Amino acid sequence: MKGNKNSRRDFMKKVGVTLGAVGVSASSSVLSSCNQVEQASGDKIKLLTSSGELVEVDKAQLKPADMPSLSENQKRGRKGLTGKSWVMVIDLSKCRNARECMKACQNHHQLRPEQHHINVLQMQDAEHTAPYYMPKPCMHCDNPPCTKVCPVNATFKREDGIVLIDNERCIGCRFCIAACPYSARVFNWFEPRDAEKYKGVTYNIEANVPQKKGTISKCLFSADRLRDGKLPSCVSACPNSVYWFGDRNEDAVTNGTTNETVCFSELIKDNAGYTLMEELGTKPRVYYLPAKDRAFPFEGEISGHKA
Amino acid sequence: MRNLIRYIFITLLVFSFLNSNSQEWVVADDIASIQNPSPYTLQNVNKGKELYLKNCKSCHGDAGKNNALPLVPIPPDVTSAQMHANSEGALFHKITAGRGTMPQFETSISEDDRWRIVNYIMNFNPANEPLLVDAPKINAKLLGSVNEAEKKVEVLAEFQDKDGIYKKLANTPVFINSKKTFGKIKIGQATTDENGRAVYQIPETVVGDAEGKIDIIISMEDNYTVNELLLENAKVCAPNVAENLFDEAVLWGTNDRLQPWLLVSYLAIAVGAWLAIFYVVFQIVKIKRLGKE
Repeated sequence: MKGNKNSRRDFMKKVGVTLGAVGVSASSSVLSSCNQVEQASGDKIKLLTSSGELVEVDKAQLKPADMPSLSENQKRGRKGLTGKSWVMVIDLSKCRNARECMKACQNHHQLRPEQHHINVLQMQDAEHTAPYYMPKPCMHCDNPPCTKVCPVNATFKREDGIVLIDNERCIGCRFCIAACPYSARVFNWFEPRDAEKYKGVTYNIEANVPQKKGTISKCLFSADRLRDGKLPSCVSACPNSVYWFGDRNEDAVTNGTTNETVCFSELIKDNAGYTLMEELGTKPRVYYLPAKDRAFPFEGEISGHKA
Repeated sequence: MRNLIRYIFITLLVFSFLNSNSQEWVVADDIASIQNPSPYTLQNVNKGKELYLKNCKSCHGDAGKNNALPLVPIPPDVTSAQMHANSEGALFHKITAGRGTMPQFETSISEDDRWRIVNYIMNFNPANEPLLVDAPKINAKLLGSVNEAEKKVEVLAEFQDKDGIYKKLANTPVFINSKKTFGKIKIGQATTDENGRAVYQIPETVVGDAEGKIDIIISMEDNYTVNELLLENAKVCAPNVAENLFDEAVLWGTNDRLQPWLLVSYLAIAVGAWLAIFYVVFQIVKIKRLGKE
């Protein structure tokens, strides 16, 4: 811990020196070009925006990203966002197995192709019922069985309702996998995806990145994106307006595709929303709207199902 | 042998003809001749456009840009001659029933709304006078205040006429929204009177924060360019107590949120178990000593 702190101090010192140097050189260049109205260092940097456009930005406009230290990150990650109570509503009638949510999630959380924080399942409830697609993230239960069994306090529930994992604490005993009735958790059996690329990157508890071999990972409602005021990756990535996400305290949820905001309780009431396995008393935070009036036929394969 | 190849060739040719015929999507005359019950108005076309963007654009692309998805067959552009070879009734039938890669919308879009999509498509029909969906927008200005005592929002709307002078905007709806984390939710709407004024009574069902405050956003219809008016921290609702997950005794809170009764009962059991073990050991030692005597 001590060594870590020292290295951080060194790093900050270096950053300070560099910024100072940049400031001096920038101010001198400003002085030397007093007659110029616009001040620009002239150095352009090509950047890729989130919408996929390539833009050229002046170097002077760039600011270093505000990344907290590991201990600070763990502290605020454990606390959560005060006054919020995140909920997700999944409209099964809209899902047509585009799997964009899964792709976005695996990219965000650096997951291997076989690891899923969110997985689109092919469901058929009984022999003669209609099959449907069901995206299944972590339910972020209000009475989570997983956090009760953790022997090292690595997985916990925060104020805003999100169940998180601290991979720095996790010992990989997998009790929580056994406890979770929704199979929401995955274990890093192998070296994580892009392990080489993200070597030495500071761990972010709100995104579980970089992933750690021998520890647990699971859906986090993209807690790091929520802190920035953005919707979770899966919600934003969906092309078929399946996901609604919002704050239960505000009684409002927003659709990730259409950006429409509606009343949460009305949405649940009007569409007969339900939660998974509520008989277990886990009080999930993910609500489902039944797969009725579907515009798209089921095209998956379920053994024994006659289409 | 040569005959056989010839037969196969001819059969293939015939089949390909049959196939190309079957690709023609013919709608029965009685269905195709149904008149559109939805009047061809700007409002309906706008609504149709909204529905088109939501449900159809992903395959058919933007109007006039010919950027449809490369499916087989290619979904025609809404401005194309292929699209407008259909009558309104035929378009309605095709949207309703679907075929092949074109999904059916009978179950997901209401009948009225399907007719409105037809309204929108007909907006691009060369025979129709195009309604000005993309008409230049009118500049407007909103002023407003919140009467917290009576829980009312008062709005004054003005528009800029041709000479650039702002005048009172009468008989126009203004929308009252509440700002939420990821967007705004419509509370209701009010129509301005001849003085450009509108008053809206905030219903009691609106949910605010712990102090009963909401951020009100006042907006207008799409054909106005207007800076949405944000009235922050309007105390117009009853205080809404946020749920606190850690209030009641819960088992899942570890370490820092440990429940005292849990700690006490755990310690009692642990200490009791050790005491029992020690008691047994002492008894055994005692018996041994007694035996020696």
